[in-house]
Amino acid sequence: MLYSKKKFALVDCNSFYVSCERLFNPSILKKPVVVLSNNDGCVISRSTEAKKLGIKMGEPYFKVEKIIKINDVKIFSTNFALYGDISRRVMKTLKQFSPQMEIYSIDEAFLDLSSVKNDNLLEHCYKIRKTILKWTGIPTSIGIGTTKTLSKAANYIAKKEKSGIVDLVNSKKVDSLLSEVKINNVWGVGRQLTKFYAKNGINTAYDLKKIHNGWIKKNTNVFGSRTAMELRGLPCISLEPHEEKRKNCCVSRSFGKKVTKLEELSEAITAHSLNAAEKIRLDRQTVKKITVFIRTSPFLNKKNYYANSKSIDLAIKTNDSIELIKQALIVLKNIYRKGYRYQKAGIILSGLEDINSYDKNLFSTIRNEKKREKLMKAIDYANAKYGRHSLSIAQAGIKKIWSGKKQHYSKIDTASFKLLPTVRI
Amino acid sequence: MKALLPFHLNKVGAGFPSPATDYVEDDIDLNGHLIKNIPSTFLIRVQGKSMNNVGIHDGDLLVVDRSLNPKNFSTVIVNINEELVVKSFLREKNETFLTSGSKKSEDKINLTENSEISIWGVVTYVIHAL
Repeated sequence: MLYSKKKFALVDCNSFYVSCERLFNPSILKKPVVVLSNNDGCVISRSTEAKKLGIKMGEPYFKVEKIIKINDVKIFSTNFALYGDISRRVMKTLKQFSPQMEIYSIDEAFLDLSSVKNDNLLEHCYKIRKTILKWTGIPTSIGIGTTKTLSKAANYIAKKEKSGIVDLVNSKKVDSLLSEVKINNVWGVGRQLTKFYAKNGINTAYDLKKIHNGWIKKNTNVFGSRTAMELRGLPCISLEPHEEKRKNCCVSRSFGKKVTKLEELSEAITAHSLNAAEKIRLDRQTVKKITVFIRTSPFLNKKNYYANSKSIDLAIKTNDSIELIKQALIVLKNIYRKGYRYQKAGIILSGLEDINSYDKNLFSTIRNEKKREKLMKAIDYANAKYGRHSLSIAQAGIKKIWSGKKQHYSKIDTASFKLLPTVRI
Repeated sequence: MKALLPFHLNKVGAGFPSPATDYVEDDIDLNGHLIKNIPSTFLIRVQGKSMNNVGIHDGDLLVVDRSLNPKNFSTVIVNINEELVVKSFLREKNETFLTSGSKKSEDKINLTENSEISIWGVVTYVIHAL
């Protein structure tokens, strides 16, 4: 072979948010459980039992409310503090099995297992799975392949296997397994590409694998042919062990109740700006461009539906909360229309750059820049020490009537003394 | 969650340096002492009074390590009847039991006969405020 044989494993936590909720709540272990997105809007995690009831991923709550009530499905609001802590534990455990690791999302990671002998691959992965379950209580599925895309596909099949592990490195039935994977479930194939492939009779991962490379090169972009090559076992995407610094930062929430007034929207946008500014300061980044967006419910008819967004380029890169709020509110005023019932508002900071490349600007609108930097530092310090939102800006609102509902919040945080899980004796 | 108690040593100044500076290592670290395996160790708060005789009181914090296997007389967190509870783990001959720390025999649960009961973790320390 022309290339050195690589081996990747994709470890993915099963129904991760549900599994986290189950960790300290054995009463829901074998029952159908779902976790709802912010503001209890949509289903974002389902237990196997809930999947069997036909509850789909991403479905809005009101559409599945009936199934949930009839079958006594347990529902939870998101508890990201808990999920974040459990995720860190899973990743720390994984790290012991391969120092070459890429955390891909809150609940999945790629491991480079090239140094493990082919004969030992399966056993090694059994051990990984067993250890994670014992140490953290989280069940996982593992897919193994000679490229990242193949390991993703293997993982997709593993989800349905009882053993929870599928190894495409040693398998003699790779092609028949790949024909089980529908094209829209192939890593790197988005909605547009799926449509295009379907038109051309490419319906599974196997179809894409056997298609002529020249055709793909001609008809899709570089990413398309990269995916096809990876399915053939040619590694094109390498492991990215170092977390890349983000280039965008988005903070948005659905409202707990519909919002109509500009003042309420301003409060929300102020709070989101504060949140975003805090995040980028933590990463020592500055922002060049702010986008603000607002929208009503997408399920409304044309007359009552409104969505808009606008961006503003900043004269000077900054991470100053007060400056960001000021600019964001200007944009908000510009896109706000009276007479609509708003459901969601958010802010996106883009063009993020490291603070090192921060250069002083002649046209800075911030007077006393040094003092303001100190003020931001003081705010961040106080919030780190006394808990988030201890020190805020009054404009962000104190009552926050617009903030999301969390009716089914589990009130457990394994990383906070105030919300530790309890046991009865 | 990090709790560090600093050693106070002399600042560098004029005069004779502290002879203790040669022995400076690190701040004393309770986390390192109480938590041997970070990803598998959880802090859990106790509710109830039935285990006062084994030194576990209402409101105490338990340091629980899921990676350990229980030994004879280990204190464990178990999942019984859809609830997490604290029990003592006993090994007699070839059988294993759970007790509430009391001597009453009706409190004794045979683990070998009750396969639906699972051990959640092993308690390694109790943090009790005086």
